[in-house]
Amino acid sequence: MNTVDEILDYAIEQEQLAADFYEDVAQRVETAGMKKILLDFAEEEKRHKKILLAVKTGEHELTPEQEILDLKISDYLVEVKTSENISYQDALIIAMQRERAAYNLYNDMAQKVPDGKLKHILLGLAKEEAKHKLFFEAEYDERVLTDN
Amino acid sequence: MTQLTGHSSALDFAQPEPVDMASGKYVKLWQGPQHPGITGNMSLELTLDGDTIIDCKTHVGYLHRGFEKLMERRSFIQNFTVVCRIAVPEPTFNEYLYSHAVEQLSGIKIPERAIWLRTMNLELMRLASFLMWIGGMSGAFGQYTVPNWTTAYRDFVLDLFEEMTGARIYHMYIVPGGVRAGLPDGFEKRARDIMDGAEKLLDQVERVMFNNAVFKARSKGLGIITPDMIDPYGIVGPNARACGVERDIRKDEPYLAYDQLNFETITGKDSDAYERAYLRLQETRQCISLIRQCLDKAPKDGPFQADMPNVLHWKIPAGETYVKAECTRGEYGYYMVTDGSEFVRRVHVRGPSYTHAIAVMERLAVGNNIADIAGLMVSLHTYPPEIER
Amino acid sequence: MSLKDLLSPFFVWQRAFEKPYTTLRPTLDRPGAPAYRGFHINITETCVGCGSCQTICQNNAIDMVAVEAYAGRAGDSGLRPRFDYGRCCWCGLCVDICTAASLRMSNEYAWISDDPDSFHFTAGVDDKPWQDNELGYRRAEGYHLNPPKRIEMPMLSAQESLKSFAEVTLGYNEEQAKKEADRCVECGICVATCPAHMDVPDYIHSIRDGDYEKGLQLMYRTNPFPATCGRICTRRCESVCPVGILGEPVAIRWLKRFIVDQVDKKDYQRILEKPIASTGFKVAIIGAGPGGLSAAYYLRQQGHAVTVYEAQATGGGMLRYGVPSYRLPDAELDKDIDHITSIGVEIKYNSRIGKDVMFESLLENYDAVFMSTGLSVPSSMRINGENHARVLSGLQILADVASDRDPGIGKKVAVIGGGNVAMDAARVSRRLGAEVTILYRRRISDMPADEEEIHECQQEGCTIVPQAIPVEIIDADNKQKVCIKWGEAKMVDDPKGGRARPVLQEDKMHTETYDCIISAIGQSSNLDYLSKELQEQLAFEWGKLTPAEYQHTSMKKVFVGGDFANRTADAISAIEDGHHAARGINRFLNPDFYTALEKQEN
Ligand SMILES: Cc1cc2nc3c(=O)[nH]c(=O)nc-3n(C[C@H](O)[C@H](O)[C@H](O)COP(=O)(O)OP(=O)(O)OC[C@H]3O[C@@H](n4cnc5c(N)ncnc54)[C@H](O)[C@@H]3O)c2cc1C
Ligand code: SF4
Repeated sequence: MNTVDEILDYAIEQEQLAADFYEDVAQRVETAGMKKILLDFAEEEKRHKKILLAVKTGEHELTPEQEILDLKISDYLVEVKTSENISYQDALIIAMQRERAAYNLYNDMAQKVPDGKLKHILLGLAKEEAKHKLFFEAEYDERVLTDN
Repeated sequence: MTQLTGHSSALDFAQPEPVDMASGKYVKLWQGPQHPGITGNMSLELTLDGDTIIDCKTHVGYLHRGFEKLMERRSFIQNFTVVCRIAVPEPTFNEYLYSHAVEQLSGIKIPERAIWLRTMNLELMRLASFLMWIGGMSGAFGQYTVPNWTTAYRDFVLDLFEEMTGARIYHMYIVPGGVRAGLPDGFEKRARDIMDGAEKLLDQVERVMFNNAVFKARSKGLGIITPDMIDPYGIVGPNARACGVERDIRKDEPYLAYDQLNFETITGKDSDAYERAYLRLQETRQCISLIRQCLDKAPKDGPFQADMPNVLHWKIPAGETYVKAECTRGEYGYYMVTDGSEFVRRVHVRGPSYTHAIAVMERLAVGNNIADIAGLMVSLHTYPPEIER
Repeated sequence: MSLKDLLSPFFVWQRAFEKPYTTLRPTLDRPGAPAYRGFHINITETCVGCGSCQTICQNNAIDMVAVEAYAGRAGDSGLRPRFDYGRCCWCGLCVDICTAASLRMSNEYAWISDDPDSFHFTAGVDDKPWQDNELGYRRAEGYHLNPPKRIEMPMLSAQESLKSFAEVTLGYNEEQAKKEADRCVECGICVATCPAHMDVPDYIHSIRDGDYEKGLQLMYRTNPFPATCGRICTRRCESVCPVGILGEPVAIRWLKRFIVDQVDKKDYQRILEKPIASTGFKVAIIGAGPGGLSAAYYLRQQGHAVTVYEAQATGGGMLRYGVPSYRLPDAELDKDIDHITSIGVEIKYNSRIGKDVMFESLLENYDAVFMSTGLSVPSSMRINGENHARVLSGLQILADVASDRDPGIGKKVAVIGGGNVAMDAARVSRRLGAEVTILYRRRISDMPADEEEIHECQQEGCTIVPQAIPVEIIDADNKQKVCIKWGEAKMVDDPKGGRARPVLQEDKMHTETYDCIISAIGQSSNLDYLSKELQEQLAFEWGKLTPAEYQHTSMKKVFVGGDFANRTADAISAIEDGHHAARGINRFLNPDFYTALEKQEN
């Protein structure tokens, strides 16, 4: 992966894989409510994919300079394995942790390339993932950590 | 002075001989209820022998609004908006006495600042009322310049009321528990300016009215009240003071801040229309002094209302009280009975006009001629609405 | 007659050259005084439509009329005053009594119109030229026609209350209660806000009348737990009481308690309504918490035979095993429950559905089933080390104390959480002699616990450490102890306007050792008694479900309520759910119920 397009293709594929992942888990969970939530997550990932496609065609700009708030919630939570009877809390933890992993990946890659267009794109992607993480962490903060 | 047919003196209360109307010697004339004495809607039924009045009957009922009864069906707070209407030119005395009676029966003690603001409010009222009265008195004797001056100047006092209370006539400022607000910014300065102007005006009034040959000629000797009439008739206020009787509740049984104010009871010698008028002029000057003293002494801050219960369901323990104050016309009183409910059981409003416009007027009118009736009436300073309540 | 007397009248000419007093209207304007009592202005956004203005107006010049823009607004009657200037005397009492200070008067005093109807207007709604007038009469600062402060509740001192589990609040005496009852303006906004729609103004009125039996009757119409709610209700009514806009709200909860305290339990039977003749229908109820027992009471009143199945040995649910007795003494809870059983409600204790009796058998044997099994499973923090033996749940500790068991917390504890359960766990720990630190991830002002609870908690010596985020539980040297690692949080505003969020600052970590850590960060339901299929059929989502209009579910005969079926999770909501389910079941027992429902839906 050396060119900008290659990187973007990879990222787009990752979003698609994430959407597939949620759809797959949704098939297996027991309750209708949970299924709906997971499908919503899948939709969210597809939306991310669309944004990246737009970046590729030049219709959308990545913004690596943008400051994204990091609530650092997922960083300290115990990892959750997917299963048939996961709860909403579990689902959110899974989502937060996936976004966190993606963020770390792009960030690490960016550290290894010289300054230039490629680095710019990698940092931009990292920020994009940070936004997604914030989305789920904010939801967790609001809906799960109520008495807390 | 001619006395009522068959009566030897004003103190002869025997049933008079009926007037033989069938003889054709006498004429009946109704003065009022709309008459130029600006004492409101009241009428005098005069029996005349030529131009001379041989009998006078006061008729009221043109203005009856049933205030005392109305109050029995309104809550204690609602009534304070009703009572001011009992005496249009002097609503404040009603506000004060009503509130005071309620406070007595419910055991409320009003704060110092409210005491002073009430006192000042009452004296401003006295000033406004006297200014209007001077106009009436002068007008009743056919002089129309002074009324223009004083009733117009009264409006400056009403301006002060407007600032202080939010309204010109029905102030609704003195309320059970205290007063509704402190003084607005700059009030003191404006009040002092208006007092200075009033003082000047009164000098001018004295000069053109009291030194006027016609006024003197017509008012001196008119409607003399003798000291022996005071108690049997229940005559109060300037009407009594003008014949030398020192009687002023502000001094005799000081209320509000009057014991902390510097003033003397003003008295006259022979209570005729002129003497009474002159005494009122002096009392108007005294008002100005009292208002200035209040401006000096009234606390500038601190509470102006006692702690109140929720007035929406305010019940007052059973009890009765009579409270009184010196209004421009003398003792004004409220008798109030409560029964522990949210409503007052009975209120009786005792205004000085009752005696002055009925018993006293009926006697003093006799022997005078028609043209003097208006002047005589005004010289007694009566307000029909407080007769009818 | 002197010459002077003849000449002095001519001095009137002296004044002919002075400035006239009169104002040349309309050429020159003469505004009213700054505090003139002119035409009415109502800031309709601030107004809540309490109607005190209408009550106080002795001229009946005010009618409260519905204004569409405010229909259904929370804590608002949806009404606004309409003025009739054919009646008004401009006394301004309406302004003085206005609970929201939204009503005022402009200093405008002239208004000319050839349309008589324009003198009959809803201030602030119908456009008037003086609407934005800055000047005019306002109620003066410091002037009140209703005491703004409530009567303080007598309480044990903090030192005294720590000595035992004795009730902390002592209750009003008659004089205090009457004084407090006096502050009510009888607007009824509380009635609309109370989940159970209790008839608050009327029972408060009964206090003013000294007729406590009537007060009790009024309360039982909507709430068979008045002794309980008079102590621990979340009192949403008070949060909307208009008297609280400028002052302190009427102490509705304490007044409710006062009424109950005045009536002896043995008189309840005589005072309160008895059930109607038996209908022959049988209803089963799962859970003897407030939800279940409220349904039981109202169903029994309607003449149905009611059996309540309860897993525990006594009734009351979380009110018994959660709420500590210094807030709600057992005797008071029993006063409520005993009356419910006294009218013929049967409670089968120690009968857990799903174990002792099967849910399916209830469906078979009864005409209807109502479940209100609450939230009994403590939520977990999901941080490393949480399974440490010295990490206890708040619910467990409270249940232990309620059952006279020693929860073994030690001498130095940390409580995690900021809700009522956390406060209760903390205060109970203080009473057990422990030194207590509460760690909460946000600010104190963000705590979901009742403000009074937080205050009392601090009074009793609990230390609240706000903005403290637990990140890990670590073994201590000693098995009887445990360490918690937590980091300081910085509050960051939500750009979208939501509540500020705590952000962990990784460079500000602390580690502290405690005898135990009490986790009280929320709870969820235990639905083990329902098979997976049934749960699916009933459409549970994350252990909760939202019932339909009559508390009914997608399964015929099955009704639900209480904590696991509402969003508010407090006693009064559970009570209303139960009452409402009783209405629903009553309808359902009429065979046309579902047909009618279907019709309605189509
Ligand atoms: C610590 C704490 C403090 C609180 N403080 C307040 C407060 O101050 N004010 C307030 O309004 N609310 C308070 N609440 C909330 C209040 O207690 C609840 O909202 C209320 O009790 C809910 O009633 P419920 O009927 O839904 O459930 P619960 O009260 O939880 O009752 C459920 C009942 O069902 C029984 N049950 C469960 N499963 C089964 C089964 N399978 N078979 C048979 N029986 C079963 C349980 O044993 C229990 O008795 C507090 C809660 C807690 C935990
Ligand atoms: S000002 Fe007085 S009369 Fe007019 S609406 Fe208000 S309370 Fe009624």
